[in-house]
Amino acid sequence: MTESVLQVKELKLGISNGKHKIPIVNGVSFNLNKGETLGIVGESGCGKSLTSLALMGLLPPGIEWQDGDIKITEQSMKGVSHRVWRSVRGQKVAMIFQEPMSSLNPVFTIGNQIVEMIQSHNKMPKEEAKQHAIHMLKTLGIPRAEAVFNEYPHQLSGGMRQRVMIAMALSCNPDILIADEPTTALDVTIQAQILELMKDLQQKMDMSIILITHDLGVVAEMCDRVIVMYAGEIVEQSTVVELFDNPKHPYTKGLLASLPKIEERKEYLSSIKGVVPTAGNMPGGCRFAPRCTARHEKCDVKPVLRNYNDQSMVQCWLYSDN
Amino acid sequence: MLLSYIVKRIFHAILVVIVISLIVFFSIRLTGDPVAIMFGAGEPSQEAIDQLTAELGLDQPLHIQYGLFMKGLLTFDLGESFRSGIPVMTLIAERVWPTMLLAFGGMVVALLIAFPVGIISAIKRDTFLDFGGRVFSLIGISFPNFWLGIMLILIFAVNLQWLPASGFEGFKYLILPSITLGLILSGVLARLVRSSMLEVLNQQYIRTAESKGISKWVVILKHAFRNALLPTTTFIGLQFGALLGGTVIIEQVFAWPGIGRLIIDAINQRDYPVVQGGVVFLALVMVVVNLIVDLSYSLIDPRIKAGKGK
Repeated sequence: MTESVLQVKELKLGISNGKHKIPIVNGVSFNLNKGETLGIVGESGCGKSLTSLALMGLLPPGIEWQDGDIKITEQSMKGVSHRVWRSVRGQKVAMIFQEPMSSLNPVFTIGNQIVEMIQSHNKMPKEEAKQHAIHMLKTLGIPRAEAVFNEYPHQLSGGMRQRVMIAMALSCNPDILIADEPTTALDVTIQAQILELMKDLQQKMDMSIILITHDLGVVAEMCDRVIVMYAGEIVEQSTVVELFDNPKHPYTKGLLASLPKIEERKEYLSSIKGVVPTAGNMPGGCRFAPRCTARHEKCDVKPVLRNYNDQSMVQCWLYSDN
Repeated sequence: MLLSYIVKRIFHAILVVIVISLIVFFSIRLTGDPVAIMFGAGEPSQEAIDQLTAELGLDQPLHIQYGLFMKGLLTFDLGESFRSGIPVMTLIAERVWPTMLLAFGGMVVALLIAFPVGIISAIKRDTFLDFGGRVFSLIGISFPNFWLGIMLILIFAVNLQWLPASGFEGFKYLILPSITLGLILSGVLARLVRSSMLEVLNQQYIRTAESKGISKWVVILKHAFRNALLPTTTFIGLQFGALLGGTVIIEQVFAWPGIGRLIIDAINQRDYPVVQGGVVFLALVMVVVNLIVDLSYSLIDPRIKAGKGK
């Protein structure tokens, strides 16, 4: 059996409004295996970024962990101290963000920012940390790494900054890398380079990746398995091949239908009608029902996420016997 | 690059000094004739008045008087006091040290209070601590400094007798005036530090720093504070003028032998050369401080290169 590095069980994250708890992420469960790339896709506001921040213990102010558990390399993170979180961040789970332009501190050198991270997790002399940082920069294919070490973020291009971010994130050899829309802000050609690098490093370092994106092209390129999130819930979870060949949930079908295909000539791309309901105003039954083209009477009752076959799970009455 | 920038700034400084000198030159002459008060209560003869007026050079047309003042300025000769006959340069030189010491003391007090209050207010946003910090700022902003000075004298010098009330004979004498000056400034400054910190704490790079697993205080004091320092530094530079203005009043309250009191006394005596010299000197100090502040930007933020525009 494959080794699991991360288990998320019935995770509920949300805001509290006096007595009422309003979940934004509503009971999300998934596993991440060693060396695997798991994609999380969904519209903005579906809870994918919030879920990933919870994995770092970095929920924004006002958002609380309401229920469920997160196990990182077998360790339950529920209610652990700041100190424990600090030892997890960077060392077990590292994260890169969407905007390489604003993700690095403008007033410190690249070297300073990487060395700081290395030294916070490993007791080593500054010179050794520096050598390790330069080695990481070289690993990420950054030319003139020694010079870049002493440069400031504004002196580098967007693609280079994202490489620096990855070099920094990987500098403490994490088990899991969370990449939140890592290539969205980059040129298409640079995107491909960065994705290729990530794949390459993943194999070398035997690392698991959680890739958060709304770009299904990137998913097809990178992922082994995919989670589709809608309005704070997982509506479908399957292997990447199964997802593209045989999408089940009407929402997933809608997402795939909205992709332009090279062999088709269409005047308009198809889109999913309506908007995502807001956190306080979720429908009682299936959350996608108001926008669903396959809606029927059963949809007023909440469906559960269940196995469809050995490759996929879906949360929809269309695929349920009872 | 830097050199041409400094040259530009010196040119700028000369302009400022010319404008200030014009304003002070004419406005002090609106206060009345110095000769009239120099004779005190007596009834001088017209002859005596004319003689004294000529001695002081006040019989010359205004543009000639101004020309002489500017010519003196170029050779660092600000003339002599009408009253004492002591060269104005000497008077200023005697008074510079106490005023600078007071301004510096006030600034230190302001920073010592404003930085912690502002930072804690920001990271404990909307809590009791933040509320307390904001009330403190508001009090600092609303209190008139002379009133605060008098209250401090009343409490610490008169009632408790811990500190001297006035004069300048050592470090102990610096404490009350510095606190008076610093408290007032710290109110505005704490508010600015708070809002700058709040803005910076929302930046993406702060989340990056947190995700690295470094301690919370390193995130706040290194990553956030350094970035919040830029708007704060600009403000400190600008506030230096207010600080010097504040010393004028504080020096009066604490009988502090500084330039502010020198100028006030000179105004009361219509001692034109002293007023002109003192005000132009303070203007020059302001210009120099602002130049230093501008140059320090590039030390705080590597994206800013002095002279390349901001």
